[in-house]
Amino acid sequence: MTERGTDIDGMWDSLDRQLEQIPLELEQERDAFYSQSEYDVYRLHYTGLDGYQLFSWLSIPLSADGPVPALLRMPDYGSVHDIVYTPLRSSAVVMNPTHRGQRHSDSQFQAEYPGLLTEGIDRLQTFVMMRVFADALRAVDVLLAQTSAQVGAVGLTGQGLGGTLSLFAAARRPRITAVAADTPLALGHPDVLDHELVYPLDELNDYLRVYPHRSEAILASTAPLNPVTAAPKVQVPVLLSLGSRDRGLCPLPIGEQLAARLPDCDVRVYDGGSEGGGHPHGVVRAAWLRERIGLV
Amino acid sequence: MGRITTNSKIAKDGGGKELADQKDLDAFVTQVTRPGDFDDFWERVLAGLVEVPLEPLVAPETMRSNANVDVSRVYYRSLDGIEISGWYCVPTQGEGPFPAVIHYPGYKGEPGMRRDWGRKEVVSLTVAVRGKLGSNDDFNPGYPGLLTHGIEGRDTYGYKGVISDCVRGIDFLLSRPEVDPQRIFACGSSQGGGLTLITAALRPEIKGGVAGYPFLCCYPESMQMLRSYPYDELTCYARANPDRVEEMLETLRYYDAVNFAPRIKCPMVVGVALEDEVCPPGTSYAAYQALTGHKELWLFPDSGHGNAHEYPAKETAWLEQQISKSQTGGSND
Repeated sequence: MTERGTDIDGMWDSLDRQLEQIPLELEQERDAFYSQSEYDVYRLHYTGLDGYQLFSWLSIPLSADGPVPALLRMPDYGSVHDIVYTPLRSSAVVMNPTHRGQRHSDSQFQAEYPGLLTEGIDRLQTFVMMRVFADALRAVDVLLAQTSAQVGAVGLTGQGLGGTLSLFAAARRPRITAVAADTPLALGHPDVLDHELVYPLDELNDYLRVYPHRSEAILASTAPLNPVTAAPKVQVPVLLSLGSRDRGLCPLPIGEQLAARLPDCDVRVYDGGSEGGGHPHGVVRAAWLRERIGLV
Repeated sequence: MGRITTNSKIAKDGGGKELADQKDLDAFVTQVTRPGDFDDFWERVLAGLVEVPLEPLVAPETMRSNANVDVSRVYYRSLDGIEISGWYCVPTQGEGPFPAVIHYPGYKGEPGMRRDWGRKEVVSLTVAVRGKLGSNDDFNPGYPGLLTHGIEGRDTYGYKGVISDCVRGIDFLLSRPEVDPQRIFACGSSQGGGLTLITAALRPEIKGGVAGYPFLCCYPESMQMLRSYPYDELTCYARANPDRVEEMLETLRYYDAVNFAPRIKCPMVVGVALEDEVCPPGTSYAAYQALTGHKELWLFPDSGHGNAHEYPAKETAWLEQQISKSQTGGSND
């Protein structure tokens, strides 16, 4: 496995310094259509890396009094991120941020599916996924900058790409309380280039079929995004779900490496499809998150 | 909320919690009724579509193609002349004309290409209905948004176009020399399940279909049972437009998969997850009950919306079986 600890740390530090220098320019607009009697729904617009205009859904419980637990659901690999609809929205701040290229964050760049995973992949400087990860960090910063509610414990959750974004955000942002990551996208792990895969990871093999001499470039560009490398820096409890037959997001051998390197990991392996547990795990995840972020 | 009534036994948050088995599903009786001019309305829509030139285009996608399958992005015209795109996968092995499977998309996600059918010597077409990437230049209500777009009238409702796009997908397949017109099958989950039922009702060229966790069923009950999107979009609309609830519900009668089901003549499977928190199990079951031809019901007791582990393999196996029957001249009825 390629490990470039020092270089990768330096790159992430540099990225954070860049983000710090960019004003959030947060605009928060209440959405009367989707707000309900127990919570208000907001549309957030803010600025990310390269001055990119980003969007997020946010809900705030009307009963909020004092610090309120927050749940941030990182986006999956797809063009649409849901408007908030977890049952927790009545008692927790809930945020569903999009990344560049997704709907509502696509005025400057519209992602293609398949296609996003290899957009600009030849060089780290042009690799769009690097900026997608920066957008995830930015979302956490926006949540923590909230003035409409006093944000208490913060749980991160997500599936596939969202799982990996959650892990990286927890590795880079000490305010995070807990992470529930389902089948985190194993982008950056060198073994994914050697497996028979399905989408989205199979986009890498599509690319290599056309550009067979670029495998080293792909490994170099994706290495900083390898969740297995980032795992030791995640110092909060992690609930990790894996699918024994997953070939598109986090193949089981890689997931097991990830679990072993996370300092505080409760891993659940499901003998199902790639989704890492389906409904039974959804029940486990909800209870686990409630307990970790202090929701009764 | 106008004429909305519901069965109190299942009118609980989450919808599926009270539905433990088929007996409970049988207790669900939908309030949805079929408009008297339902068939006339849709015959007019179909007749109008015939007047729109299909203008099919096939653009090969070298990067997505492999030894087993040639992948293309395809385009065709649908209602109001809007250009619709899709992923088209043709086997590189075997001799055509091939059977075909048309895949209808879910509500918010992008339809993926199904290269796996290529290995089985089956053509696949995945339709990106209007509003989705590749088909949103002239129609883009967004997600959320699509479910209530133009809902004030049956002729303005956005789903008139969405359903037309699915119908035109069949026309695209019929325009292709590599497709056997006698062996076209359909499938989809969630919205794709609802669209499978609806399109099979409108196009007898579909010889069999699998509708998983079907959305677009029993709107009045669905919006009362759930607090989750997309059905919650209807509830939000009703709250914001209390004076338009009656016309909204009237429009939806023309777009309820339950009202299409009796028209379906081909074998059809309906998959129902008993913990479904997005499409209440009773509403999907109502669509199954309304089917009058050969039908199967797959119940998934410990599964939520779209996540029954065994579902994808069952769907593929059932379609393969139907395709095999059609190849040997067996009846699909």
